[in-house]
Amino acid sequence: MIELFEVTKRFGSEAAVDGISLRVEKGQLCALVGTSGCGKSTTLRMINRLIEHSEGEIHIDGQPVRRFKEETLRRRIGYAIQSTGLFPHWTVERNIGLVPRLLKWPRDRIQARVEELMSLLGLPMESFADKYPNQLSGGQAQRVGVARALAADPDILLMDEPFGALDPITRETLQFELRDLQSRLHKTIVFVTHDMDEALRLADHLVVMRAGRIVQQGAPLELLRDPIDAFVESLLGGEDRGLKEAALTPVSHRMLPLGPHPIAQARIHRDASLHQALAVMFREHVDRLTVVDVEDMPVGELTLRCLVGVHRGEPGA
Amino acid sequence: MRWRLPLVWLSLLLALVLGMEQLEWLFRWIESGSREVIYRRADFLTLLGRHALVVIVASSLAVVIGVGAAILVTRPAGRDFLPLVAQVASMGQTFPPVAVLALAVPVLGFGTLPIIVALLLYGLLPIVRNTLAGLQGIEASVREAAVGMGMSRYQVLRQVELPLAAPVILAGIRTSVTINIATAAIGATVGASNLGDPIISGIVNGNTAYILQGALTIGLLAITVDSVFERWQRRH
Amino acid sequence: MRRPNVVLLALMLAALVGWLGLESVNVAANRIVLGTGFRAHQVVGWPGALVSCLPLVTVAILVRRATRVRLCWALVLVVLMLMAMPAWLAIAADRLVDPSLPQSRLGIGPANWLLLFLLLLSLIELRVRLALSRWAAWWLLLPVLAAWWLALAFWLEPLALLREYRGRSDPFQTAILVHLSLVGAAVGISLVVGVLLALAMRRHAGIQRLVFSVLNIVQTMPSLALFGLLLAPLAWLAANVDWIAALGISGIGWAPALLALVGYSLLPMVRNTFVALSEVDAGVIDSARGMGMSHRQVFLQVRLPLALPVMLEGVRITTVQAIGLTAVAALIGAGGLGTFIFQGLGQAAMDLVLLGALPILFLALVADTLLGVLASRLDHRRDAGVPQ
Repeated sequence: MIELFEVTKRFGSEAAVDGISLRVEKGQLCALVGTSGCGKSTTLRMINRLIEHSEGEIHIDGQPVRRFKEETLRRRIGYAIQSTGLFPHWTVERNIGLVPRLLKWPRDRIQARVEELMSLLGLPMESFADKYPNQLSGGQAQRVGVARALAADPDILLMDEPFGALDPITRETLQFELRDLQSRLHKTIVFVTHDMDEALRLADHLVVMRAGRIVQQGAPLELLRDPIDAFVESLLGGEDRGLKEAALTPVSHRMLPLGPHPIAQARIHRDASLHQALAVMFREHVDRLTVVDVEDMPVGELTLRCLVGVHRGEPGA
Repeated sequence: MRWRLPLVWLSLLLALVLGMEQLEWLFRWIESGSREVIYRRADFLTLLGRHALVVIVASSLAVVIGVGAAILVTRPAGRDFLPLVAQVASMGQTFPPVAVLALAVPVLGFGTLPIIVALLLYGLLPIVRNTLAGLQGIEASVREAAVGMGMSRYQVLRQVELPLAAPVILAGIRTSVTINIATAAIGATVGASNLGDPIISGIVNGNTAYILQGALTIGLLAITVDSVFERWQRRH
Repeated sequence: MRRPNVVLLALMLAALVGWLGLESVNVAANRIVLGTGFRAHQVVGWPGALVSCLPLVTVAILVRRATRVRLCWALVLVVLMLMAMPAWLAIAADRLVDPSLPQSRLGIGPANWLLLFLLLLSLIELRVRLALSRWAAWWLLLPVLAAWWLALAFWLEPLALLREYRGRSDPFQTAILVHLSLVGAAVGISLVVGVLLALAMRRHAGIQRLVFSVLNIVQTMPSLALFGLLLAPLAWLAANVDWIAALGISGIGWAPALLALVGYSLLPMVRNTFVALSEVDAGVIDSARGMGMSHRQVFLQVRLPLALPVMLEGVRITTVQAIGLTAVAALIGAGGLGTFIFQGLGQAAMDLVLLGALPILFLALVADTLLGVLASRLDHRRDAGVPQ
């Protein structure tokens, strides 16, 4: 668990971060979003003390970060940044084993851990262990960056625009993989990004920052439904934010039980998003879909009216 | 105001060259053992003039030939020669200028001509190398945009490529001229009469005052020229 | 159908014209008199001269279609020609030099120099076209060097260069030793001082400006002038301070030479070290710290190794430059190979000049190649594959 209490960072007389309070629960992924220069990276870097905060307190699991020696603190916290910061003069294997080596793990344990991580991140040991970072594609390098951050099995992971330099397709793949990883590992992650879609896709807790302050925070759906001001609203995509909400809501939340009328031809998986369901309707020119489960068995139906939630808007519904 | 520093150096240089006689007391104090303490075989203004002339002739030729060659091998017609020229220009700079000068003498004989040729040949290398680097360092998109907007090849060269490469080319010329001033002085050993003369004859006769006179003048010349380039480069 | 290699065609054509048109060797009765020049056909007659042109013509024909196989054959021929040059000189010596005159000697003429130059250019061109490494080029030169060594050891007794060497083999060895010691000392000292200065400059911006402006002026100073300027104060010190004189320091000799050499060497050394240390990717340093490396670990394990290739480039520039400048230092009595150059120029004995200049060239090239290869070895893993 990470807690920030009224934390301020001044560079000279200017406050880059201005009295922010924030609480990231254990196992949560918290995304810090905002335009560049809003203090999100500074906030992140204060947690592992790459930047020292000027005022306030930062606690990790109830302990102030200043109580630890800087290096000790950082070795307990995974850190992955944009363009990976991999050491170009070290092989992939050596890069991933960095923190365990700093922690003086025995050699065979490091070896085992590196192998474990590489297979976890889909980097076959035999073809990647001896490569140098420049021989990797952007996506591969980023995976190595994440593996390196996870190497000593830290409870906390700090990620500063880790996918910022990648093309959209690779980025989406890695976002998916990260979510998958997170559902298995349950790390406490603080994730900085300026890409709102990425934040919506990944975050349990979304923090919107502007000019060193937190403008609004909460679950992504809360923000989508109830942006506090025009800035947050525009950041969330303005008129498009309805579609984004649909993208975050699974079909199973809105579907109806199977009715008496015949089953519709067009189908949609129950775990698909409402956004996808809408796309299928639009494409097939229908207003009714059959919802199926993993085995392709019909489990319910979805009409356009319930997709858009007509009854929710009606009083007394 | 911008040219103040070069002007200061230049006036120091001229003052030293013209006022060498007035400094006799100083050199007398340094070299108390000798009867003659001012180098008189030729006056310093003449030596400075000859030195400058050799360097100017060699350097201007080197600029014309070097920049020209580099432009030629980066055009479609001369592109076949590009790898060789680039290799030679970078390898050639490992040759010490003294060795080049020494090798020019057996071929060309003693006197001013071999020095000019040696300076020219050696001075070509940094110019060619930098011009190539400057031209090749231009982003392809810039050139494409120029062509795309309908500029002719010559216009692209004159209005886009050369101006963009100018700072790098100028740096190459600066290196070349600096080396030439230094190497020309050594040319005094192969029979060219210039500012190297007082130094050599001072060494031969054990006259520290001669050495100092030559060394100070060449040093000031080099610094003056370099400060001009410094100014010039800053404008780009 | 590949296009012809125009470069090699031109080189071969020039070589052909030079070979037949210029004097191939010259013969002199002793080291002072001017020799008589002989062209190729005057050495072996027209039929022999035309036969000697055959390899050049063959290469020219080969490269009219520049396929890889043909270029490889051309490479073989060029190397063979380089190996044949000492044999040619041996033949000329045998035919032209009168063995009854012990002082008579064979000089290498402009045709041979030109041919050597053009063949080396061809070698460079072929190396580039065939994408051979720097090492490979040196391996190719190995048989050539072996051929020259063999010829010099057994058949080329009358060669003027060799005569000059025979007359002073001991001073020659001393000169090489002195030359290398001066270069080694200058590079070593400037490496230590340069790294310390660069580290200090990273701490204080003020030192950075000061050091760079001083070193820039030193670098601008012509070598002869700097040697001269150091001569006077050192002579004064040696005359007035006993312990300095006791160290063997005087106005003339190794002391001003070494001082000036270190002065020249510092700028490239400091600049490269400073730039190398400063320009390590900020992201790499950031993540090194973020992973929990201490300052010391960041410096020793990340910053320094990443800076090393650029620093080594500084050592390379410095070494090559020092080899040349040491030659000038001979003028102020520092010894070294420059001694032969200036002696030779003084006596108008051109072969003595060559005896000094050729080894200097060779040393510079070898130092350049070795340090260059070392730097790229350290660097290759970052050059390989996809750039970031």
